[in-house]
Amino acid sequence: MTATRVTPEPAPRVRIRVDRLVLYTVLVAVTGLFIGPFGWLVLSGLKTPAELAASPVHWLPAHVQWHNFADAFNLIDFLGYARNSLVIALIYATLVTLSSAWVGFGFARLEAPGKKTLFGVLIGSMMLPQMITLLPTYLIFAKLGMVDTYWPWVLWGLAAAPYLVFLFRQFFAGLPRELEEAAIVDGCGYGTIFWRIFLPQSWPVLSASFVIAFTWSWGDYIAPQLLLSTDRSTLAVAVMSTYVTSAGTPVANLQATASVMYVVPILLIFLIAQRGFVAGMSTSGLK
Amino acid sequence: MHPRAGTSLGRAGASLSRRRFLALSAAGAATGAASLSGCAMRVSSGVSGDGETVTVMAKPDDISPELIRQAQKDIGVKIVTVRYDITKLIGMMTNGAPPDLVRGVGATDAPYFAARDVMEDLDPYFARSGVLTSSDLDPVNDLWRYDGRTQGKGPRYGMAKDFSQDSMFWYNTALFDTAGVDYPPETEPVTYEEWLESAERLTRRRNGQTIVFGGSYQGVLTPNLLASLTASAGGSLFSDDFSRIDFTTPEARKALAWYVEYGRSRVGPSIVQPDPNAWDGPTYQAHRMAMSNSGYWLGGLINTDKKLAPLSRLAPAPLFAGGRRVSPCQAGTGFWMPKRARNKDAAWRVFEWFFGEGPAKARASGGWGIPTLKSLRSLMPAQEDYQKRVLKVQNAELKHFSVIAFTPYASADSLYALFNQEAPAAMNGHLSVDTLAGRLNSVMNEQLKRGKEQVG
Repeated sequence: MTATRVTPEPAPRVRIRVDRLVLYTVLVAVTGLFIGPFGWLVLSGLKTPAELAASPVHWLPAHVQWHNFADAFNLIDFLGYARNSLVIALIYATLVTLSSAWVGFGFARLEAPGKKTLFGVLIGSMMLPQMITLLPTYLIFAKLGMVDTYWPWVLWGLAAAPYLVFLFRQFFAGLPRELEEAAIVDGCGYGTIFWRIFLPQSWPVLSASFVIAFTWSWGDYIAPQLLLSTDRSTLAVAVMSTYVTSAGTPVANLQATASVMYVVPILLIFLIAQRGFVAGMSTSGLK
Repeated sequence: MHPRAGTSLGRAGASLSRRRFLALSAAGAATGAASLSGCAMRVSSGVSGDGETVTVMAKPDDISPELIRQAQKDIGVKIVTVRYDITKLIGMMTNGAPPDLVRGVGATDAPYFAARDVMEDLDPYFARSGVLTSSDLDPVNDLWRYDGRTQGKGPRYGMAKDFSQDSMFWYNTALFDTAGVDYPPETEPVTYEEWLESAERLTRRRNGQTIVFGGSYQGVLTPNLLASLTASAGGSLFSDDFSRIDFTTPEARKALAWYVEYGRSRVGPSIVQPDPNAWDGPTYQAHRMAMSNSGYWLGGLINTDKKLAPLSRLAPAPLFAGGRRVSPCQAGTGFWMPKRARNKDAAWRVFEWFFGEGPAKARASGGWGIPTLKSLRSLMPAQEDYQKRVLKVQNAELKHFSVIAFTPYASADSLYALFNQEAPAAMNGHLSVDTLAGRLNSVMNEQLKRGKEQVG
């Protein structure tokens, strides 16, 4: 009797621990793989130029160059460029989130001839490489007198983004039809249904959409480089090309430091909106 | 559409109708956009106030924010810079509103843009200038001349801000001493064959990693380098009308074979062994490169390192055994004025100021290149003994300068991209030099043919 009580217990526990150990090892390895480049960027940003060029490679800085942060901050008008990036990213992320939600709602809940075809065309436009539309885009905005203004980001924001439309469409399509029918019975139109019933329920997707759109805009190099003059440009453009000496030679360590500072706002926004972002991606049927 | 869609939207009692929502959205967006776009914000480098405005397409190091403020103070002109970007330049020109001045590489951009008739002929401006006189212009500025067929002759379309003879090379005497290799002479050129032999002896490796590069020889852009190497072997890379390229002539083949051997031997950075620093400066400064194919301009960096400067010397441009001594400039970076620039007089004033006044004097004394006005040569740094020594070698080299004319039918970047597609196989030993020469002829001549069709 005693033997029958004791024997089956230890084996599963050991198996679970071993499984967990393997799982955690893999997770730590994968995390390290993803964090590695960023870690190397941080370390590079704390070295002197000579140490950065040393061979064999110096993995850790002999003397941590904390002043690199101040130098990178002062070498260019870091705050000015960051402000421009922030303004553009906020304009675009806010507008594109609302317009994409609006369009996604239409595709999810309204019926019209050619809706499926139109949706196919919209999604198909995601396949169009940005490089192809670069020059025509510039010419259109130049003809409209919008070069060197923030108007292009306003128009892009109002025009909705196919990926975000898809995200919202998937989410709205999953909401029960009864909600909509009850609202109609109560006298609501579709504008009200969208604004007062569907939108308040879509915070996870709104959050995910905002984070995605903000990241796109914050990280975009091509559009600001093409459409804005040097002193109205964004941090992405400045970090990429402004860390040079007066002779045009790159200052790689300060560029690395500036890149670390450049990434911080995105990390903060993601950390703040993390829960909503994950929920939004999982409830929209995209996993 | 749902049967009731659109019918109940305007009902009294609905707190937010579709029309109202759309109207509010549009009004909000328009208000926000107008308030932002009307005054897209400048960073502190911008200038304001009265005065004419000149738009300059440049890289950050061409015109710094300090220089922009200085221009407003010195000549009363506001400079607005747009970052150099070839796509943007084409867009601006297509739109009929190009910048007033554009940065360019004289050695390759001058024939390319002049042949497309988008550059302003600056001869009349030079003729009436009291600052930039033809007799004071260094011959390197001939890189910016093009007569409709050949670079180096005809009207001037731009000017170089400073220059180097880019086939010369610097060497670190300490690394030569360590390896027991004789220094290259400072008065007579070594041959390219000798240079490569020295580089192999100077290279130090540990556990398969290159600790010290024996020598770097990459030129400014590979197509210019190959044209210069071919000239040094006594030939020409391009046909007389510049519409074809030929790597199978004995001289071009010799140049190509040498460059492939340079890559194959792994003595220095190349397309098959890139330097993570992306340029020679930091590696040379870290005493990890015995020879660097950089002209006089690298002295600007070397002179700031009081330990490295006395150990560094400049040597004449090598030549091929049996070849001829040429020492070209492979860049000659400067500015040109688009034909459709809107503010030409103010742009010329900036041009004069930048190339002949305060900024030119500051560049000349900085040591980051040879001034492009003969009258400014006296400002080149010569306070220290090592600076005097370098200057003596450089001054002796000037008489070997010549313009190596480049084709107007393809950009150097496009030929560079084609070279990079084909050459690694040869440098890795998978392709013979003759096969590579044939392939390069094929793909590059196709590119040149298309360019000739465009130019007409």
